[in-house]
Amino acid sequence: MIQVACTHCNLTFSEEMMITEKKSDTKLFFCCKGCQGVYHLLNAEGLDTFYDKLGDTKLHPATQNSDDLEKFDLEGFKNKYISTDEDGLCEINLIIDGIHCSACVWLNEKVLHKTEGVIEANINYTNNKAKILWDSEVLKLSQIIETIRSIGYNAYPYDPKLQEERAIATRKTYYTRILVAVFGSMNIMWLAIAHYAGYFGGIQQSFKDILNIAEFVLATPVLFYSGWIFFRGAYYGYKNNIVNMDTLVASGALFAYIYSIYAMISQSGEVYFDSVVMIVTFVLVGKYLEVLSKKHAVDTLDGIMGSTPTEVTLIDTGVKSLVSVENVVIGDVMELKPGEKVVIDGEVIWGQGSFDESSLTGENEPVYKQQGDTVLSGSICLDSLLHYRAIKDASSSMLTSIVNLLEESITKKPRIEQLANTVSGYFSTIILLIALFTFIGWYFWVGSFEQALIVAISVIVIACPCALGLATPMATLVGISIAAKRGILFKEASFLETMAKSDILALDKTGTITEGKPSVVKAKLFEAFDPSLLYALVNTSNHPISKGLVRYLDSKYDTLDTLLLDDITSIEAKGLTATYKGKALIGGNASLLQTSGLSVDAHSENSLFFFSINDTIVARFELSDTIREGAKEAIQNIQKLGVKVVMLTGDHEQSALNVASKVGIEEVHAKLLPQDKAALIDQFHQEKHVLVMVGDGINDAIALASSDIAIAMGNGADVAISVSDIVLLDEKPASIYESYKLSRRTFGAVKENLGFSLLYNVIAVPLAVMGFVNPLVAALSMSLSSLVVVGNSLRIKHLKFKDKV
Amino acid sequence: MSESIVVLMIGISTLLGAIGLFALIWAVRTGQFDDQSKFIDAVHHDNEEDLQDAAMMQAKKKAYKEKNYKPAD
Repeated sequence: MIQVACTHCNLTFSEEMMITEKKSDTKLFFCCKGCQGVYHLLNAEGLDTFYDKLGDTKLHPATQNSDDLEKFDLEGFKNKYISTDEDGLCEINLIIDGIHCSACVWLNEKVLHKTEGVIEANINYTNNKAKILWDSEVLKLSQIIETIRSIGYNAYPYDPKLQEERAIATRKTYYTRILVAVFGSMNIMWLAIAHYAGYFGGIQQSFKDILNIAEFVLATPVLFYSGWIFFRGAYYGYKNNIVNMDTLVASGALFAYIYSIYAMISQSGEVYFDSVVMIVTFVLVGKYLEVLSKKHAVDTLDGIMGSTPTEVTLIDTGVKSLVSVENVVIGDVMELKPGEKVVIDGEVIWGQGSFDESSLTGENEPVYKQQGDTVLSGSICLDSLLHYRAIKDASSSMLTSIVNLLEESITKKPRIEQLANTVSGYFSTIILLIALFTFIGWYFWVGSFEQALIVAISVIVIACPCALGLATPMATLVGISIAAKRGILFKEASFLETMAKSDILALDKTGTITEGKPSVVKAKLFEAFDPSLLYALVNTSNHPISKGLVRYLDSKYDTLDTLLLDDITSIEAKGLTATYKGKALIGGNASLLQTSGLSVDAHSENSLFFFSINDTIVARFELSDTIREGAKEAIQNIQKLGVKVVMLTGDHEQSALNVASKVGIEEVHAKLLPQDKAALIDQFHQEKHVLVMVGDGINDAIALASSDIAIAMGNGADVAISVSDIVLLDEKPASIYESYKLSRRTFGAVKENLGFSLLYNVIAVPLAVMGFVNPLVAALSMSLSSLVVVGNSLRIKHLKFKDKV
Repeated sequence: MSESIVVLMIGISTLLGAIGLFALIWAVRTGQFDDQSKFIDAVHHDNEEDLQDAAMMQAKKKAYKEKNYKPAD
């Protein structure tokens, strides 16, 4: 069978299934009418260079659905998403769905530019967000959406005011402040080289003055503009009676600055402008990284919000009308079409169908619902039309509460940030007090204001947060870079510390301990049959069980023919039926075959799949989700570190216990909804445990957000990744063990560094208090103490991950 | 070497650097670095076609403003 690529979307199918067409001498292939339509449209518009730009990139086939277009012109929708700019133009922010590469962005922009009435269209290549300005007298929003859909993409709006505008503004100001700080420190550095050369080799006072003034000019904007964040932080700390890291940075930098001005004017002693800018620059860059990760999380959140319908079809005494989600009250009856997402929790009152609840429970298998069953918002109706009655309003429905929790977790400051600052907080208070007493002591003892000031300030300068400030970041930086090389991404340095302190590890089952893909574990053939028949049948479905069978058949047989089946019917949550040249094929679970009057052996702890030809059962397959490689060893190793391992899953008890016993987990919590998982985690918190949660789906997102450390598997849902603190790229359970080991080693190094720098201060500060420290000693000891800290941190690189047993 | 030459050298080099810094800050403020991928792939967009598109968008905006121009009373 020859496989050919679709001329539009590049997906390959066998030649006989394609729509073919001749254009001059070349033969064109299309996988569907949608792709064919888009191809001709682009050709007619003269945009066929799109295909040159596209290269080998594969697109989604262009499906056409235009039945919900009218909702874009509804009043409620306009009020929510469309704004008007100062010229009277309408403005909307859209997320374009289906973009794969820069050629897709090019095409979308091009088509929008050509549309009459669109004044401006800009698409961001990084996050696929578009801003469109148009003249509402010429064009309606629904027409713009229709245009985007006509070329095979989809667009849904989002509200930038929620999060994005704020995130972008913060990022821009940080970026500007960093630019100023880096510029200042780079220039001061080369002036400082001249300075130090002069210190050792001798320099005329007149040249020294020039260098001092130049450094002063450069340091001033860095301290007061770039360092403004620290002054603000210190001020808020002061208002709340907290001495924090900001206080230390602000006071250290400010006092060094004041002392340097004094030294510059009085032409006595050395200036420390270089220390001022270095302190500000380094700490600022660290803070900026945190802001960046927040911006990324906002992008994903907008994605979920945007794909949520804003209107539902309400049925009032037999009349259907589109109503804004906010206006639905408890008791209203609504209609749900196949493929629609449920936005309001309700109860089915008419009809039946299967629902994809994977975004809530994480389990891939569709759930069958009939009259009297509850449907939860966030689930997707797969196959049929049904009516349901609202049992909650929009604001208290499941989906809204998930989104709210996520928003909260993004804006909320991590708890560790406050904890990490306590040590340096005490330290800076003590140093400030010592400096004050030194000043008073010297003032009354010697009677000279100048000398008292110099000694007091040299106390602050020598204790200036160099070694102490480097102690944590240096060790964690090394730790993070080693982790990254092993496919473990820590989003923030401080997470290493929390991870090291954790004593409970909570694991999700599907996708974390297991692979999330069922595979055939037992196959029993009752009669010989052509495997191509089964292959063709299961290939028509996207169900995980069918996919598992496809993989099994692919690996078992070398050549499988692609057969064209007739009358393919998918009986949701049960199986598939079809005919091939007069043969009746049935493939599915026990209940499907039983309804066809066949008796089957339905006893198994695994999922079952039967295949029958002409009412004779020819094969029985047992499928089970395979446990990830190395899961058992990793869990045992983690337990050896003294960490308790528990399993949290939405799956039923039997299969949960089955997996747990295989990997050696004793505590299992099964049948949990997303909020149950989060509640359980809160319970662990109340018992004063520090908890690490590993998960992969949207269903884990709340639990991940409420745990102390959240670890997401690399191919997990975007939300799970964005609320998580650590991402495992290689998805190996062994990486969880490695992150534990690495974080404990790093935290150990942090403690050593802190111990050393405190020791250094215990020796150096009294010397400074007694007035023995001259600028040379201060400079040397400061650099030396930093070097020790750096050297000690680099030792983390020698950590061995494999146990020598 | 006299003091004035040192002052001149430091002054001019800092000034030149500062001009570059302000240009960069202006670019950040006007959103030219908002889209990292577009920025990195700049060479793909730096052609006549894109220039024409940009010109067309401006022309459209101008035409719209003229159409809706309402003189102050």
